[in-house]
Amino acid sequence: MKKHLSLYILVVMLLAIAAGCTNSDSNVSKSGTGENASSEQNDKSLTLLFSFSSKTIDPHQDWMGVRAGIAETLVKIDENLEIQPWLAESWVQNDEKTWTFKIKDGVTFHDGTAVDAQAVKASFERLLKVNEAIGSSLKIESINADGQEVTFVTKEIYPAFLSELVHTNASIVKVDEENIDSKPIATGPFLVSEFTPESEIKLERYNDYWDGAAKLENVTVKFNSDGNVRALALQSGEADIAYHLPPETLDPIEASEQLRVESVPSLRVHFMLYNNAKPALQDVNVRKALDLLVNREVAVNEIMNGYATAANGPFNQEFAFASQEQPVAYDQAKAEALLKEAGYEKNAEELLEKDGKVLELTLATYQGRPELPLIAQYYQAEAAKVGIKINIVTIENIDSYLWEQQNEWDLATYSNLSAPRGDGGYFFNVAYLPDGALNPGQINIPELNDLTKQLNGTVDLNERIELQKKAVAIVQEQLPQSFILHPHVIVGVNDRVKNWKPGSEEYYLITNKMDVE
Amino acid sequence: MRRVLSIIGSRLIQLIIMVLVLSFVTFLLMKITPGDPIRAILKVDDVASTTVDEEKLRKEYGFDEPILSQYSNWLLNVAQLDLGESVISKKPVFELISDRLPATVSLAIGGLIVLFIIAIPLGVIGAVYEDRWPDYISRFIAMIGASIPSFWLGLLLIYFFSLQLNLLPVMGKGSFVHYILPSVTLGIAMAPIYIRLLRERLISTLQSPYIEAAKARGLRKERVLFFHALRGSLIPLVTMFGLSIGSLLGGIMVIEILFSWPGMGDLIVQAVLQRDYPVIQGYILIIGILVVMTNLLVDLLYLLINPQIKQGKEVV
Repeated sequence: MKKHLSLYILVVMLLAIAAGCTNSDSNVSKSGTGENASSEQNDKSLTLLFSFSSKTIDPHQDWMGVRAGIAETLVKIDENLEIQPWLAESWVQNDEKTWTFKIKDGVTFHDGTAVDAQAVKASFERLLKVNEAIGSSLKIESINADGQEVTFVTKEIYPAFLSELVHTNASIVKVDEENIDSKPIATGPFLVSEFTPESEIKLERYNDYWDGAAKLENVTVKFNSDGNVRALALQSGEADIAYHLPPETLDPIEASEQLRVESVPSLRVHFMLYNNAKPALQDVNVRKALDLLVNREVAVNEIMNGYATAANGPFNQEFAFASQEQPVAYDQAKAEALLKEAGYEKNAEELLEKDGKVLELTLATYQGRPELPLIAQYYQAEAAKVGIKINIVTIENIDSYLWEQQNEWDLATYSNLSAPRGDGGYFFNVAYLPDGALNPGQINIPELNDLTKQLNGTVDLNERIELQKKAVAIVQEQLPQSFILHPHVIVGVNDRVKNWKPGSEEYYLITNKMDVE
Repeated sequence: MRRVLSIIGSRLIQLIIMVLVLSFVTFLLMKITPGDPIRAILKVDDVASTTVDEEKLRKEYGFDEPILSQYSNWLLNVAQLDLGESVISKKPVFELISDRLPATVSLAIGGLIVLFIIAIPLGVIGAVYEDRWPDYISRFIAMIGASIPSFWLGLLLIYFFSLQLNLLPVMGKGSFVHYILPSVTLGIAMAPIYIRLLRERLISTLQSPYIEAAKARGLRKERVLFFHALRGSLIPLVTMFGLSIGSLLGGIMVIEILFSWPGMGDLIVQAVLQRDYPVIQGYILIIGILVVMTNLLVDLLYLLINPQIKQGKEVV
């Protein structure tokens, strides 16, 4: 008996020692891992690790169809965030409601059948059926197919139609197939060989791809929602590209000789929303003062570790319709002057007061984006310096709180994709119109409402840009929100990956041009 | 045999009562928690919509009806073996869950195997060397295991075995090697209570008269320990397992998400975040039934381990 037990103990101790020893060997094996992994897969294959998992890869329902290079849309946005032809070679707008697209010759589905106008029509008809949200946003009245020309008639004058077609769900798939949610037949450079929901997609090169067969033979897209695990998978060589890495995981990646970090300003904007129903906040001078207290530099450099760009308005500065002004700089003195102008004086407790009422504000924030509570805390401290008392509340379900408890909050941190498809029309409609689905602050600026309505009826692209610029100027003057920063898309990349860069739009992750060595 | 049938019969009645209570309570909790899936269905963060659209859709889905009538609708469908479909992905709930259940169960089994590999030796060592240094080591390991959060343990294991040693894959499910890290994480997270329980139980068994008698008959120590004492001491472990199957299936979610394991973890977490009511209800129902079934199995196992146990007489 004794012998057996001592054997057990011995084994346990040996294991413990072995575990301890691994520390000293670790540096050697670490430098080897990246190389080992690459030499193992000397064939042309690549693994991309993404953060949001997919339950389905039906391109009409999930973004992964386009992201993984399986499906394609008629038009796309390029690196300058301008709309470019993709499956469509060209298009004309016949009248205010009619658009005709010419489909490129030689585009084929993964089963070899040619893509003609009829196939495009069938694909859109299925989209309208299976995806109510996109279906209603496209506002299609009828579709007509003729050879390679497909004509859409919209229900109303709808100039944003072209940019809405950039939506990844508006991609073209072969409709008379069975397993569209796991093996869609579409037109992209890669076709699906195996899909495990929420876990991975295995892709193979489609040799007859219209834009030239892909350089890679196999691609695997994996999902993991834990940022630390994504970073470890990149370091171990199990992933060649890892998306959305948390800034705190970047040091070992930047230090590694085989890995690099790529980052690009995203189309997302973090901002602070003012509750327009609150009398104190209806004074534009108060909002201006609060805006001057936002320290964008600190938020970008300290909270986001430099992986963000200070915002000068709702849109990514790359857009033609974005503001060209410098982001507002933190200015305590100016803020104090504005508050004085608005009638606020410091009371005995050093708090700002007007007509006997102390300026005390409730700032709602949420953990979903970990940087937002930090921004809120920093803001609380800055506001305290001028005598504004801010109470932070952290809410689990921010959307329902902002809507259902509209009289409880004054300020809220929030985050949105402001121009997801290369046009700001979406944000103006949804965030500023009184019945917009993202307007819990009850913003209602008549001048801006008129401009948005005018924008909704304006077709000419240059005119649209001018109108949106004007609208942005009004937003920056009226400050219904304070735009803080555009977070960057942070991607870790193994150096064996060539001809690839992440885009702001995050739509086109897998391309036929990308390569490995 | 009669014994077995009566256990099964009483359990089935319990099952029906439990399903009714459990599903109603979750339904109620879900509905009084702020938020509903409307914004997710409309993809508000992605395509333009208005509050008018939201209200219209809320009516369409019947989310504005009284809770009781929503619940009875759901229950009526369940009675016809229809769990409904996800309001977000529009897929049948039964299919969503049954597609993922095998992966979750196989990981649970992997975790249990690791659990026994760890818990039995450490528990036995603790009891045999009571209050001596091997016991202290066993207790120390149990304490460490109990105090490390499983997601952090998982990260540490990935760091050492995948990154530093390059031995095991970081994530995914494929061959046998993919099972090792998640199973070990799960096993270590569950082991401490079993180690302690086995140790306590074994200590008291080793002092009982029948062990003394066995020793007095001159049986070898190993035989007494492994065939007489251990067998009796395993019963509380089996009880414990029956009781903790629910928390096991909850805890496994964290590990699944960490290792991209294609089980139910991600499905359920997303469903809760997006308030996908039918999926949450279906999950609670299926897991509830699974827990009752496991406990039934445990009761039957008692008879196998020790036929002398009469249900209700000896409470362990």
